[in-house]
Amino acid sequence: MSTPTPPVKRFEQPSAGRAEDDARRGFLYFTPKKRRPSLYEELTIDTQISTERHLQGGWLVAFEDGRGSHSLGSTALRVADWFEWRDPAELWERPFYQQAAQAAREQDAAVAAARSEGLFARMTDGWRQFLQSSLQLPAFYEHGLWRALCGAARPALSDLVTHAIVLEAAMKQRQAQDLVVYAMDLEPDIGECSTEAARTRWLEEPAWQPVRALVERVASVHDWMERVIATNLCIEPLVGNLLRREMLLVPASANGDPVTPVIIGNAQREWLWVREWTPELVRFCVEDEDFGDHNRDVLTEWTQSWNAEAEAAVDAGVEVVKAVPAPRARPAREALEQVRRERDQLQSALQRKEVTA
Amino acid sequence: MSTARRRSVTKTHERIGQLGWEPTHHQPATNYPTRYKFPAKAKDPMKQIMREYLPMQLEKDERVYGGFDAAVRANMGNKAEQRWLEVLKPFVHTTTYLEGCAGRVMSMLLDTVPNDELRNGYHVQFVDELRHIGMQQSLARFYTKNAPNPYGWDMGWKYYVGSPLTRAGYNMSTHSIVGDPVYCGMSMMTVLETAFTNIAFVALPDVGARNGDFTLPTTYSSAQSDEARHISNGYATLMTLLQEDANIPLIEQDLPSAWWTNHAFIDPFAGVLVEYFSKDRSDQESYLQKWDRWINDDYYKSYIEQLGKLGLNMSADAFKEARERIVTGLIHRTAIFAFAIWPLAYWRFDGLTERDFEWLEARYPGWYDEYGMLWEGFNALKDPREGALFLQGFLENASPICWSCMMQCLGDHDQLYRVVDGRTRFYCSEMCKHNDEAYPGRYTGDRQFFDRYHGWNLADVVRDIGFVREDGKTLVGQPHLDDDLPLWTLDDLEACGCEVISPNIRTAEEMGLPNGSWHDAGDPDGAVVPSERGYVQHSIGPDGLETGPGMRSNGNREGRRNVAEVIR
Repeated sequence: MSTPTPPVKRFEQPSAGRAEDDARRGFLYFTPKKRRPSLYEELTIDTQISTERHLQGGWLVAFEDGRGSHSLGSTALRVADWFEWRDPAELWERPFYQQAAQAAREQDAAVAAARSEGLFARMTDGWRQFLQSSLQLPAFYEHGLWRALCGAARPALSDLVTHAIVLEAAMKQRQAQDLVVYAMDLEPDIGECSTEAARTRWLEEPAWQPVRALVERVASVHDWMERVIATNLCIEPLVGNLLRREMLLVPASANGDPVTPVIIGNAQREWLWVREWTPELVRFCVEDEDFGDHNRDVLTEWTQSWNAEAEAAVDAGVEVVKAVPAPRARPAREALEQVRRERDQLQSALQRKEVTA
Repeated sequence: MSTARRRSVTKTHERIGQLGWEPTHHQPATNYPTRYKFPAKAKDPMKQIMREYLPMQLEKDERVYGGFDAAVRANMGNKAEQRWLEVLKPFVHTTTYLEGCAGRVMSMLLDTVPNDELRNGYHVQFVDELRHIGMQQSLARFYTKNAPNPYGWDMGWKYYVGSPLTRAGYNMSTHSIVGDPVYCGMSMMTVLETAFTNIAFVALPDVGARNGDFTLPTTYSSAQSDEARHISNGYATLMTLLQEDANIPLIEQDLPSAWWTNHAFIDPFAGVLVEYFSKDRSDQESYLQKWDRWINDDYYKSYIEQLGKLGLNMSADAFKEARERIVTGLIHRTAIFAFAIWPLAYWRFDGLTERDFEWLEARYPGWYDEYGMLWEGFNALKDPREGALFLQGFLENASPICWSCMMQCLGDHDQLYRVVDGRTRFYCSEMCKHNDEAYPGRYTGDRQFFDRYHGWNLADVVRDIGFVREDGKTLVGQPHLDDDLPLWTLDDLEACGCEVISPNIRTAEEMGLPNGSWHDAGDPDGAVVPSERGYVQHSIGPDGLETGPGMRSNGNREGRRNVAEVIR
């Protein structure tokens, strides 16, 4: 006996209008990276108007000093067309909210479960005290980078780059707030975790001043791409990873803290996204047919300068990591060597490719 | 399973508020200096926290995108009125660009305003605006795939800045991202979002629903639910500014200016959409009645007038004048001009019927006597086989295009103008004239569409702006929706022999004024005004950003910096 044919859903007319018009049922004003445009491309490209794209006749409104709406001189980097760059992860608002809201829910669920099972009481004493005194200090670091990135979004020279910067800034702000919220959640179980005291240390304690100076320095730069490169190529791989991963994520598990790894795990997942799109942006700049060499020079100069500044901060950061209570996963110097290796790997996008026959 | 304890929003906000600090090692840079002074204290009245914000926005997103799925299943693209669906092309593009501007002005304020509470609110708004861009582009994508006519949507962002009708919207929106960042912020938050989103995101989607379109109300209602936060940002900014006496004269100058700039485009644009593109005539309210409810009562009387109690001496003139212009026919006159230049649009027009005439006459007694014959004329010439264009003869009598707002000068008053460097600029109103004079150098570019194409054959103009289907002959814009009538082609336009006459050049000649053209064939970015170029003396910041490869050696010292100054 043969099995019945499964029902097939049929559409007599998949869309309104004439069938011959169906080839026009897409956004055809840009060239997609692949054969078919992605949803990300369709929802992002050309929402920022540019004389580089479709606007003819120049900018219609000017700043008091004569700049147009967007100025190619807003960064020292030059590329043929900023609208050609794509975020490899194709992040836009809907997946952003899905992921960020999930991170928020995971933290709440982790706190509720830990409290329910009495896990906060089983953390080591040293770690409890460390959380009370130091958990929120990296929040100031994240907040400082948030501030610098926010200002880089307006002058950015394409909607695709702007999207990445704004979403990264939103992640930074949430990451900063997550630590404060966790501190508040911990207080009924482990006692006061003063944000004010952490703030005082951030503002006054000598060990933290190089880190504070570093993030303040990023916001003191006019060039929006320099802010992005300084943050994502030089500071985050070194200082961010040291503070988040080596100071909080890894030792938290060893000290019986089940929530910090959830919070920092989400922050590090977001860092993986940044670690993917920033080298892609670097590659885009240094492979530009006309300006690649110039861009490589500028980027090399920036990374050398910012690496030096980040190193000064990370020296202080190592002292902070040394204060993390035992059992630590490994010595602070070892952790520092790893983040340096990762930074160098990330910056290898800047190196000139060997031409092979 | 245990659940998370509910946190106090106030306490949480207070704690996260401690994350901010005043930099002392390095002073923050801004690329957008302001004339305004900011006091040390300010408040974010919405107490925005990412923890509360993110799940809320996700929930709203799910509803919007679920609405698109429902619309596909309900075959809404085939059921909604096509007259309405056509005009959503310029509408959705205009609002989406505005959303982008709203986000970008937040970045300007974040870099300029030295207060962390306000900055927190601005940042949340920037993320909101990315959400609105995503939703509204998704809506455009839905119509592209499901509405009867994809032409116009398919080349949307190219066409948006090509049509003289939508370039005026681009011009208006850009005022919110170019200029003093506080001016820009007020333009966006205190005017556009506080006053006009009620019209654009509430009243107008109601008309959409009446025309069988439920995706537009779903999308824009969701956006509007964020606007409360943005309005609150605007109010908080204003209250902060008012703590410094030196800001008061600046607000008294900038707020009416921003009000007028936005009114000058949005009111005629939204009014024409509501009154001339609704097939459904069940709505008892005219645009003027909607305006009285949403703008006059809810904005002017309950918001702007109340600012007087806070020390602002706000003149009522600009608000009264805006209403008076609507009463005296701003929308009706704009409508017939927009329909007349249909080949320069990227959507299709549906001529008015007897039922439309009755609806308009009932709300504006005397309407038919004044405008009826024009509409009869439009309908008589919608068939290309007639061999004549409604536009022929129209431009010969059209009033000039305003230098500032780029809309038609439609008032009954004497034509306003001024002569700058030997050329004549026309203005639709005293406020638009003031907006040019009080902010010198603001208006640039090859901004007068008809100057650029003065003397051209209309078919060549359409070819030049590319408003032609991929068959190379059929026009994207059409004056009818009738399947029984042929579509207009470039050949039909050629046969009409219509020559474009710039109303500005013609009017200047008629009035014996100096050159009315601001187009310069030798300068693709428009005639540069030497006196205003001389006004530009300084660059941004001391770090030499404006030098480097790709920049002309003489470009940065003389003023405008844009693509024309880049050597490829």
